[in-house]
Amino acid sequence: MDARFTELLTPYLPYLGDRELTADTPLREYGLDSMQAIELMLSVEDTYGVELPDEQLTEETFSTAGKLWDALSGQLGGQGSDTAPAADAV
Amino acid sequence: MSGVTGQGPRTDLLAAVEQVRALAAKHAEETDEAARFPVAVLDELRTTGLLGLLVPAEYGGLGGGLDELLDITMELGRADMSVAMIFSMHCQQVAGVVHHAGPRLAGELLPLVAAGRMYLASVTTEAGKGGHLLTATAGLTAEDDGLDIDRFAPIVTGGEYADGFLITMRSPEARSAGDVSLVYAHRDQLTITPSGDWNPLGMRASHSTALRLTGRIPEHQVVGEHGQFRTVVLNTFGPLAHLGWAASWLGTASGALSRVLRLLRSPDGRKGANLDSELLMTRLSRSRQRLETVHALMRHTAEVVTRVRAEGDDLSRPRYQMLINSLKITASEECHRAVEDLIDAVGLRHGYLKGSPTGLERALRDLRSAALNYSNDRLHLADGKLALLDAEVRFA
Ligand SMILES: Cc1cc2nc3c(=O)[nH]c(=O)nc-3n(C[C@H](O)[C@H](O)[C@H](O)COP(=O)(O)OP(=O)(O)OC[C@H]3O[C@@H](n4cnc5c(N)ncnc54)[C@H](O)[C@@H]3O)c2cc1C
Repeated sequence: MDARFTELLTPYLPYLGDRELTADTPLREYGLDSMQAIELMLSVEDTYGVELPDEQLTEETFSTAGKLWDALSGQLGGQGSDTAPAADAV
Repeated sequence: MSGVTGQGPRTDLLAAVEQVRALAAKHAEETDEAARFPVAVLDELRTTGLLGLLVPAEYGGLGGGLDELLDITMELGRADMSVAMIFSMHCQQVAGVVHHAGPRLAGELLPLVAAGRMYLASVTTEAGKGGHLLTATAGLTAEDDGLDIDRFAPIVTGGEYADGFLITMRSPEARSAGDVSLVYAHRDQLTITPSGDWNPLGMRASHSTALRLTGRIPEHQVVGEHGQFRTVVLNTFGPLAHLGWAASWLGTASGALSRVLRLLRSPDGRKGANLDSELLMTRLSRSRQRLETVHALMRHTAEVVTRVRAEGDDLSRPRYQMLINSLKITASEECHRAVEDLIDAVGLRHGYLKGSPTGLERALRDLRSAALNYSNDRLHLADGKLALLDAEVRFA
């Protein structure tokens, strides 16, 4: 996950507190609700200039930071959650 | 679920279903009048084995699937909507156990359900949060020897007669209100204090009173994992609730239309009504049309849910969730309106007065609950969000 991504994601997780945001961070547990999930998706799409396809929009994709990053990086050209940084996509 | 769509009705169950339906019809007027739970009908559901409809055969159940659930619920709804809801909501709880409980809990519970000794009630609504299903206010407390429950439940169908409860509560380590666990509690494990009386407009025989539940349960009685109630809802409770409710409402409205048609075709009815009336024909047509819409949507939804499960696809996809929610909203509106059409069609005596053989008055009161029973407004909010996720507008 790149810095831009964690920066973008953190405001959506009001219960994260001082904990570090990792690939395993569960998004719903830390406060991402369904309306915010849509805002988050749109802002991810704007930031990276991609569109997440319908096939990716499952519960699983929004379950952890790493899963969302995987879905995103799939659109950016295939890097997984443990490979950083992201491609220069915009 | 082991049943397969498209096999047709299970003929081996017809006699049992007819027995329960006939008893429900016999008691319906009186249990409605007295707002009393139909204990005799529940007993018949127990002895016929129908409470174990969705229990897999290896646990001694009938191994039924979605189609059988819909067929049977509709039949019962023709006689009494409260009975249909009691049955289908119990089956929804059973499906929750089948799909999400660990092997130990499933092994303890499912044989009892199959044997007719376990009627399960549902506790999701909570004071303060209203119907907001995916949050919980009261929390489980972790103790050395289990989990403490202290929960006020404002509306529990059959709660005073249930043998066990599936209850939503905030997880012991919850960080937010959305961190919800589903737990099972046996009647013996709880102190149950009824509160207030039950005197509603309709659904009177569902006897959905308020209860306070306190007690301690062992850790293995968590259904699914802590905090994972959302998964249970998206995969099992949501589809089964909406399908089961739709079948209850469609059964109720179909029973109402059927009784009106029989009346109109009878020698007395033909004297009282003008079968040449174009207005009457149009109203009958409209009523039937509404039921056709609900029926088609319900069967399609059941077919999609069965297929998605069989293929191991993910029911959380927006197009599946929107279909499941649309079914609930459409069924709740159209079944209620179909009965209103019928009331206009036959007029005051057979449409508005208690004691008419058409039973329209009770059907209308019962069906008025459909839009409220998990608020359509809430579902529209959910579907609006889901619609935004599917800009291509793909249908399931
Ligand atoms: C016959 C019957 C049997 C039932 N049995 C059970 C049972 O066995 N177990 C159980 O747990 N529950 C049961 N329920 C409760 C049911 O599942 C719903 O929770 C309940 O009907 C919702 O009640 P409500 O309208 O007060 O709540 P809400 O859904 O909170 O709605 C209250 C009002 O707020 C509006 N509203 C909804 N969402 C919003 C929003 N986001 N913002 C603003 N306003 C909003 C609604 O339109 C409505 O006007 C039963 C209900 C009925 C009618």
